[in-house]
Amino acid sequence: MDFNFIKEVIPLYVEATWLTLRIGFIGIILSFITGIFCAVVRYWKIPVLNVIVRVYTEISRNTPLLIQLFFLYFALPRLGVKLSGEQCGIIGLTFLGGSYMAETFRSSLETVGRPQLESGMCVGLNKIQLVRYVVLPQALSVSVPGLVANIIFLLKETSVFSAVALADLMYVAKDLIGLYYKTEESLFLLVIAYFIILLPISLLSRFIEKRLRYGQFGNS
Amino acid sequence: MKKNTIVKALAFALALAAISPLSAKPKTGRTVAEIKKSKTIKIAVFSDKKPFGYVDENGEYQGYDVYFGNRIAKDLGVKVKYVPVEAAARVEVLATGKVDLVLANFTVTPERAEKVDFALPYMKVALGIVSPKSALITDPSQLNGKTLIIAKGTTAESYFSKNYPKINLLKFDQYSEAYNALLDGRGDGLSTDNTEVLAWAIENPSFAVGAGADSIGSLDAIAPAVQKGNKDLLDWLNNEIKELGKENFFHADYEATLRDVYGKDSDADSLVVEGGNL
Repeated sequence: MDFNFIKEVIPLYVEATWLTLRIGFIGIILSFITGIFCAVVRYWKIPVLNVIVRVYTEISRNTPLLIQLFFLYFALPRLGVKLSGEQCGIIGLTFLGGSYMAETFRSSLETVGRPQLESGMCVGLNKIQLVRYVVLPQALSVSVPGLVANIIFLLKETSVFSAVALADLMYVAKDLIGLYYKTEESLFLLVIAYFIILLPISLLSRFIEKRLRYGQFGNS
Repeated sequence: MKKNTIVKALAFALALAAISPLSAKPKTGRTVAEIKKSKTIKIAVFSDKKPFGYVDENGEYQGYDVYFGNRIAKDLGVKVKYVPVEAAARVEVLATGKVDLVLANFTVTPERAEKVDFALPYMKVALGIVSPKSALITDPSQLNGKTLIIAKGTTAESYFSKNYPKINLLKFDQYSEAYNALLDGRGDGLSTDNTEVLAWAIENPSFAVGAGADSIGSLDAIAPAVQKGNKDLLDWLNNEIKELGKENFFHADYEATLRDVYGKDSDADSLVVEGGNL
């Protein structure tokens, strides 16, 4: 294990980590927004949008991210729309992540029982107040494990970005192996980098769960 | 909380152990006798680098490298199994013993010679840049500040990273992806072996190889590669190449696979190396 080599290439990995995190988080936040929108549409069964959302969910969940990226990056220019590597990455991640988030939100919205809604209506809350004070607080705290699982999934999916020439972690590792043939060192740093990105998120999720679901964990 | 941390620490340690140098190293490659006994030789070639290693409409491997591979298998008396490989994976695929021989248009460089053993050369090559005819590149310095497309793990990548740091490099894993990107206008030029870019430019009339961009860098040799330390197969290959030189095999290879590409006026000797004599 050539530690001098490792010391030299760490800056490359740091840069790649920043890119992965940056695109990952923009994609995740946009997925959140898409997900909440889709979940609310399906929860309230809004007529036309409901069908569109269901079709979108099935298409995006049943195609791999790599295929979606290839389509955006290589096929769209033939139809006249040329997107940069970063744009493809964000759009692809949002497209895929949106449906995963939508399903998580939808299942957590449905766990809020009818008695809750009916009690709310008895007390005189209108629809918007119902959602804001009764449904969302309960739904959000239940959805945290699912959301964190989706976030971790999306961050790991960023490893396919190297296919559209984005200098993410996988790209840097492959490049170094191709140029210097130091396979063990490059892959070792790759594993460490992903671990450093993902472990804090797992830990963060435990913390958030404790705070949101103090009904279960107690006020400790 | 304590148990959780222990589990996490164990998982991390396992990941480290899996890729640490403590894991067993593969032994040096199969000898000729072992290959003959198994009745198959595994050769790594390109599947998308026309006309040197590619898959035709019938799903058969064809090309200058493949023609040579078929002859090797015939002379060994075994069947050949072609394994498609990316440019950046050619050293790895030998070091891990996944193939016996690499015939993927592999240029000899000192860095690579440290990791694999090269036999005698069968082709010579320099670097070239292909660009759209409307914005032809005739000198690499014209690309300063512009984008050059390359495939990862090729001599073009090392050459341009080292000598022209001002050029923005757009790197792809596969040749097919790189060429698609050039067609979509994502770069101002593409660089790899001059033999390859010339062949591609002939097939794509709106692109050309500029006059000053057709022989960049040093003239290098392309040779078969075997796993480091595989003296048996290496000696057999060197013998084979010298024998084949007596019957002008590589010129015949050129006529069979490359003449149609480069045209009847092209000079075979600018590319072919016969009998291992550069």
